[in-house]
Order: sequence, then structure tokens, then C-alpha cells
Amino acid sequence: MRSNLIYVIFATVLLMAGILVSICLAETVPNAAGLVHAQFNGMQAGGDGAARLEHIGGLAFAFQALLLLLIICLAALGVAEERRSTEFWAYMGGTLLFSFFVWWQMYSGHQAFLKSGVTSYFMGFPVATAWQVYGTWLGAIPLIILYSVGFRKFIFTDEDEQKYEKLLENIAKKSEQ
Amino acid sequence: MEAYRQEIIIGAVIIYMVFCVITGLWAMRRTKNSSDFFIAGRGLGPVVVSLALFSSTLSGFGFVGGPGLVYSIGVSSFWMIVISSTGYALGFFLVAKRIRMIADVRNCISLPDVLAARYNSEAVRFLIAVTIVLGVMGYLATQILAMAVVMQAILSGTIMFEDIGLVTCVVISSAVLIFYCVTGGIIASVYTDVVQGAIMMIAGVLILLTAMSVFEGGMQEATSIILADDGETMMPFGAAGIMASLGWFFVFGLGLAGQPHLVTKMMMNRSISDNRIILPMSLLGYVMAALLWVSIGVIMRAAVIDGVIEPLALPDDAASLFLSIFTNPLLAGIVFAGLFAAIMSTSDAFLNIGTAAIIHDIPKAIQGHAIQNELFWARIVTVILALVAASFALYSHFQDATLVAILGAFGWATFAASIFPVLAIGLNWKGATAMGAVAAIVSALLINFIIQLAGITLPYGILGGLIAFIVSLVLFIGVSLVTKKPELDADMQAVLNI
Repeated sequence: MRSNLIYVIFATVLLMAGILVSICLAETVPNAAGLVHAQFNGMQAGGDGAARLEHIGGLAFAFQALLLLLIICLAALGVAEERRSTEFWAYMGGTLLFSFFVWWQMYSGHQAFLKSGVTSYFMGFPVATAWQVYGTWLGAIPLIILYSVGFRKFIFTDEDEQKYEKLLENIAKKSEQ
Repeated sequence: MEAYRQEIIIGAVIIYMVFCVITGLWAMRRTKNSSDFFIAGRGLGPVVVSLALFSSTLSGFGFVGGPGLVYSIGVSSFWMIVISSTGYALGFFLVAKRIRMIADVRNCISLPDVLAARYNSEAVRFLIAVTIVLGVMGYLATQILAMAVVMQAILSGTIMFEDIGLVTCVVISSAVLIFYCVTGGIIASVYTDVVQGAIMMIAGVLILLTAMSVFEGGMQEATSIILADDGETMMPFGAAGIMASLGWFFVFGLGLAGQPHLVTKMMMNRSISDNRIILPMSLLGYVMAALLWVSIGVIMRAAVIDGVIEPLALPDDAASLFLSIFTNPLLAGIVFAGLFAAIMSTSDAFLNIGTAAIIHDIPKAIQGHAIQNELFWARIVTVILALVAASFALYSHFQDATLVAILGAFGWATFAASIFPVLAIGLNWKGATAMGAVAAIVSALLINFIIQLAGITLPYGILGGLIAFIVSLVLFIGVSLVTKKPELDADMQAVLNI
């Protein structure tokens, strides 16, 4: 599985590189990366949000979706191959789905705002932004929980610790000799 | 109390600096060799490591530049913060366990040491050490300059020091930094980080509470004012647009595991098992401190748009003006001390890894062995490095602003692009080769340098650092796949199997 995982990571990064090239080659629009605020010095404005996404919206969405997949694959790479059980992959799959859900809510919420010009608020922010602020941050919390709570099961088991202690002992013996 | 605002602020900053000096003297007694000086003898507890880790992550950029960025480009800059949970998670999943093991097994005292052991390659050691030195110069120079500018702003508000010059402020702030770093090495650095981290957490929460009281309708009223002015600024991709935002997500998220000043701290804990506590504690500390970044930026932009205050001369004035207009003097004093704490906690970490690269890694890569009396030379080089960085900072400020900017290009993004693949993937994939590592590091350095020097602007706000990072990842894995699989030493094989 470990050898397959690195190929999945490699393929994901290649696809992301391809998307970046496509975005670079896409038709550009004025002020795609913002414009100087008409009234206040030092401020930037976003301007026409729909125009900025017209040629690259789908590509950018795919880029982020691949990045979320990459994050899960990289986290899995940090877990020893023999500990990547079905239970582990189910948990990681659930985490990925949750991240996708947050990303979709954020993106579609922004699209809805672009169409209607109105938004409701959640905990101080427009809803789409609230998904970004709270949802994105919470999206990785399952990884933190897996690491902290599942530390002895997935990251550094008692067996690992014994192997490690043994290794240190052997090294100490060798250096004494 | 308002009448003594400036005195209270200065008092808080002086108390903080005196604390740093005392910590340096205390730590000097505990620093007996170069291992103590660079990695605290691998004996730190989880609370110390957690606070040191997050306070080093959030530099002066977070306390000054962060609010300024929100003022300038709105929600785009939030991406650098909301990624923190992913960034810390990946750092611990991919790096924390194995870097600590290799440090133990091979008695490593620096990141290049670890990577030289992993790849059995002095070329990798040399390239990583050079990357660190270049990056450290840029980072240190900007941090020292930021520290001096803030000090000048505080002192010039008093009658006694109203004409104080920037050079004097550079000398004072650098002297404190050099003193505790030279005397106490990393031990002084991490213990000052503990207090620095605590100050930053308190400051973050208090500032959020203050910020929410500026407008009657709290944060929602502030964000709705910004939204009414320009909808995109308050939407998830902000004024800078979707690709700049996602680029920051990538570079700051994955890149955390490639920051040498942070991953080096993962070598210092007493026990590998402590990592399960260190991860959530670091994240909690970071989030509390980062509340300042978001809240000041949003409130100041809304206040200017709403006509509550005059437009700022510079976006980076957002934090200091917020403190002088909206906070009581005591809180302003705590936050200004927190600001120095943020700058110093990052500076001392960079000073430490830069010194290790110069006196330990580069000589080892060239001569095959370390220099004699490392501890003595570590102290000398720490002074020289800080003085050179301070000179760079002053030269840049008065003569040529491009110098620090060029070195600054070797900042977070360059460390991320050149170190992440080699370290984070390399420690978890036995198929990674030295050739792949060299290709990744060289490509990352070249792309970042070329984009910076040539002033290349990419469409849709795509970051140069993002291009460098992806190319580096592709080359690292691609070249490793097509080059001969390395025969690892038995101990490395064992570490990578655990």
C-alpha cells in the first residue's frame, strides 16, 4: 500500500500542476487579483467577483479539491503501512468527505452571493466566509483527534516504542564496543 | 490612567525585556555543550515545546503584518490562519516522530544533520544549510527592522525620547536579543518563548473582546460594513482572489512542516509520546494569538469605511493605531509587549538555526567533520549573525530597500518549497533519493529567486512560491522514482520502519 500511496500523491501533484498551467493559460480578466480601492489609500477591493471566476472557477474548485485529497494522503503517509487498517481508511475517508463538504458550502455560498447580492450571517461573518473561517479550520480537527487520541494505536504503538528502545540499546552497545 | 498611556506601554516593554535578559543569565548555567545550545539537550517538557512551537510560528508578521493584510485585502489573508489546523496536523503526522528518532539515533543537533543522516548525503546537508542561512538573513533583518520601528514609535511618544533615531532602536532591541541568545542559546530561547507565547495568547483574546465592542453590533456589524462597501473583500476569497487565497492555503498549510525553525523544535522534546499533547496545545495557542490578526484587521477596515477613524497612512499601522484608539493603556502595554514577544520569539529561533548551519553544518559538509569547540564558536557566530542582519536591516531601510526584499524572498515559501518534500515526504518514504532531494531544493531556490529578481507577476494572483512548491514536489518524487533506490543504513532502515 505504501508504494501505491506515493503514486497517488505523485498523480495528485501532477494533476494540480496541470491545473495551474491551465489557469496560467486561461483567458485573463482585468483586476483578477484585486484593484486599488477607489476611496481609501492602502486598501484593495475585489471588484466584479463573477468576472474573476468566469474562466477559472471550475479549475480553481478542482485545484482545491485535489489539495484536500493530497492533505489526507500525506497524513496517511505519516502512518506506518501496517497500521493503515480499514478502520483507519474509513476515518480518513470521512475526514476527506467532511473537508469536501466544507469546501463545497464555501464555494457554492459565494456563488449564491454573486447571483443574489445578499447573504445571511453566522457568528459574525457572511455564511460563505463563516464556512471558510470556522469550517476550514474544523476540517482538519479529525486529523488532530486521530493523532492525539489514536496516538498509541496508529502513530507510536507500544510495540513501536519497544522497537525504538531496542534500537537505542543496540546503538549504545555498539558505541561502547 | 489614560494620562500615563505611553509610560505604561514603555513600562510593560521594559519589564518584558528585563525578563529576557534574566532568562538568558539563568539559561547560561544550564548550557554546557553545543547540544544544549542548539536543541536544549532534547529534554524539554510538552508545555514548553508547545508554547515555543506556536510562538515561533506567529512572528511580528502575524502581529503587525497580519492585521495590515486584513485591512488591505480583507478575507484573502484569513487563509493563512485557517490552515493552521491542517499545517500543524501534517507537521506532526509527517515529521515529529521521525525527526526526534533520527536526532536521538544519530545525535543530531540541526535539521541539516537529520537530512544528511536520512539521505547519507553531504550535498543535501550543504544545500539545506545554505538555504537556511539565506532564509535566516532575510527573516532576521526584517524582524529586527520591525522591532526597531515599533520601539521608535513607542519611545518617540515621550518627551524624553521624542527624537530617538532608528539606529538607536536597532541597537537597543538587537542588544537584548543577542544577549539572551548568546548566553542561554536555545534554552533561553524556548523559556522566553513560553512567556512570549502566554503573552500572545492573552493579548489575542483581550483584543478580540475589545474589537467586538467597537461597533454596537459587534463583529457582524463590522463585516456587514465591509461587505456593503465591496462584497468580494468580505467573501471567502477576499480582494486578492481565489488563486492567491488557495496558494496561501497550500504554501502555509503544507509549508509549516518545512519551516526549519519549527521542525527543529520537534527534536527538543523529552519523549516522543509527548507529541500527542504538544500538537493540540500548539494549535490552541496559535488560534488564540491569531484572534488579534483577524479582529484588528476587520475592525480597522470597517472603522475607516464607516468614517469612525481617518484612513491609515499604511496598512501596517492598523495594529498600533487600534491599540492607541480603542484599547485602555494597560491592554496596549500587554499587546505591545506581546508584539515584541512575537518578533523576538521568531528571531531567536532563526538566530539559533542560522548559527547551527554556519558553525556546524557547512563545515561538516565541506570538511567532513565539525569544528572544534562548537559552543564557543556558536556564541561568537550568534553575535556576528545578529549584527550582520541588523546591518542589512539598516542598509535596506536607508539605502536600498531591495536587499532585504530579495533575501526576504527566501522566507516561508522558499523554506516550504525546498524543505517540505525532502523532510516531510523523505522521512516517510524509503524510496526517496538524495538525487531527488537535490533536484527539489535547487529547483525551489531557483524558481523563487528568478520570480523575485525578475519581478514576474503570474495571472490571477498565483503565487511564485506555489509554483516553486509544486515543481519541487514533482521533481522530488519523480526523480526519486527514476533514480536507483538507496540502500539505507541499518539504523535509518529501522527508524523508517517504525
